[in-house]
Amino acid sequence: MYGGTTVLERRKLLIAWLLILPVLAIRLATTAYPTLSIFWYSLRDYSFLLRINEFIGFRNIAYLVTDPKIGNAFSFTFVFTFVSIGLMLLGGIALAHLLNVQFGGRRFLRTTALIPWALPMIVAGIAARWAFNDVYGIVNDLVRRFAVDFRYDWLVSPVGAQAAIIAVDFWKNVSFFAILTLAGLQNVPSELYESAKIDGAGPTTLLVRITLPHIKRTLFIVSLFFIIWRLSSFDIVYAMTRGGPGSSTSLLAFRMYEEAFKNLSIGYASSIAVALFVIMAVAGVVGIAYYRRVDY
Amino acid sequence: MNNRSPLHKALLIVVTLVVAFVVLWPMYWILISSLKPQDKLFASPIDYFPLTLTLDSYHRLFTAMDIVSMSIATAVITALSLAITMVVCTMAGYAFARSNNKLILLAFGFVIFSTMVPFIISVIPMYVFIRALGLVDTYLGLVLLYTSHMVPFAVAVMTGFIKQIPVTIEEAAEVDGAGTTTLIVRIISPLLKPAIATVAIINFILAMNEFFIPLIFTIRKIVPLAIGITKVPLSINMHYVEPWDLISAMGMLIIAPIVIFVVIFEKRILSGLMAGSIKE
Repeated sequence: MYGGTTVLERRKLLIAWLLILPVLAIRLATTAYPTLSIFWYSLRDYSFLLRINEFIGFRNIAYLVTDPKIGNAFSFTFVFTFVSIGLMLLGGIALAHLLNVQFGGRRFLRTTALIPWALPMIVAGIAARWAFNDVYGIVNDLVRRFAVDFRYDWLVSPVGAQAAIIAVDFWKNVSFFAILTLAGLQNVPSELYESAKIDGAGPTTLLVRITLPHIKRTLFIVSLFFIIWRLSSFDIVYAMTRGGPGSSTSLLAFRMYEEAFKNLSIGYASSIAVALFVIMAVAGVVGIAYYRRVDY
Repeated sequence: MNNRSPLHKALLIVVTLVVAFVVLWPMYWILISSLKPQDKLFASPIDYFPLTLTLDSYHRLFTAMDIVSMSIATAVITALSLAITMVVCTMAGYAFARSNNKLILLAFGFVIFSTMVPFIISVIPMYVFIRALGLVDTYLGLVLLYTSHMVPFAVAVMTGFIKQIPVTIEEAAEVDGAGTTTLIVRIISPLLKPAIATVAIINFILAMNEFFIPLIFTIRKIVPLAIGITKVPLSINMHYVEPWDLISAMGMLIIAPIVIFVVIFEKRILSGLMAGSIKE
């Protein structure tokens, strides 16, 4: 409180709160409130279909641990997330470098790279279902131009379907990873490269000694967001496989959707959401704690 | 960097062509599938350069489904959410940019980092909530949820942009007796045009990408295009065989405006994504 300015300062602060109120309210209502609610719902036997809603303690969580369908969902979710992040790091860093080069085709290349990011996953996924068809699909058609007898029905075999999903996710999202990496790449001082080159450093040395240390923090935070988005991926599975064959491609988010909106067991689905949230929270907290310790 | 070796240049061109092929070839395949006569669709190997092209698939798609009202529904949801996002985020962006109160900065952090909670986590309580309000399958409910999705990115871009506007302009206006409303509407907003354009273009694309919200929160009254494309097989009673002719046509109807947008606004989208997403 600073004497004469108090009233004015307070008035300004009040106006500031009023200005941010709509944004704050809508985000609290759609993220904070529901996140707290899923913990409460997960302790209840809550079903739209049977019209019940009663407290049952940790029975949903106990069932979660033994449910074989969920076991599959957990393992594919982790495989999908980690394979995907590995591919994104390799492909994303490479593509970011390519997008950063000054040459005649740069605008064309950048526009091309933006297109998969901009396409709806549902459209890409539905097209991919057709693209990975053994007989009529574009993927096998392309392979058969080189290996005439090639036959493989991707979406009918569990491993094939899983690989196809990872491939489509990579096709759609690697350029977004690259664009975010590019933001970090553009902050690396170019004098560093110039002087290192004079000292006779080759491209590998430049990458390992200058580029990677400088974009480390960017890569880290981008990867963290990508991990969380991969853990919660839904559209791609809904469009391409509906979790099949069997439950081989059923990601946790898709499994949760089926429990909540097909079987209408809200309580059990909420316990899946809780598990997913806890995994993300651990990833986020560990990630941010580590991020703070990493210096440039 | 200007005097590259010919080998380096050749390599650059080859890699660019490979990237372009991987991205554009499947899209060309969707386009050409939608324009082929129906009987040529199931040829193997695929005929990429058919001699006859026809709009027949589009014609049958428009007879089978009400594409016009789907497009209108999509446009209404997108336009309303965008308009609301712009207004509330300009207000909030101004307050965030000009305030150094700790609690307000904390609120800013919350709005930005709440994107780390994906909608899949909150969907069940949101569904119970929206259903209790009777807002399932209504524009109001959808616009509320779409707006919530657009807000964090818009706040990040707006706040960043307003911070770069010198405070002296406002101080001068304040001396002349302008209130906060006048400041925002008359002084700040006109300077925000580039930021508003960036946020609008990127959020338009994000809204067209939205699938999970309409999947859960619409039943039959409102059908956006993203939901419509999943219902193509049902519309002509083909449950087991994919009507790829109609699906590819519908896919093109959704893809075309997005691709045109990207081609026109490539620079703005790219700088917008880089500015809004990584906050150091």
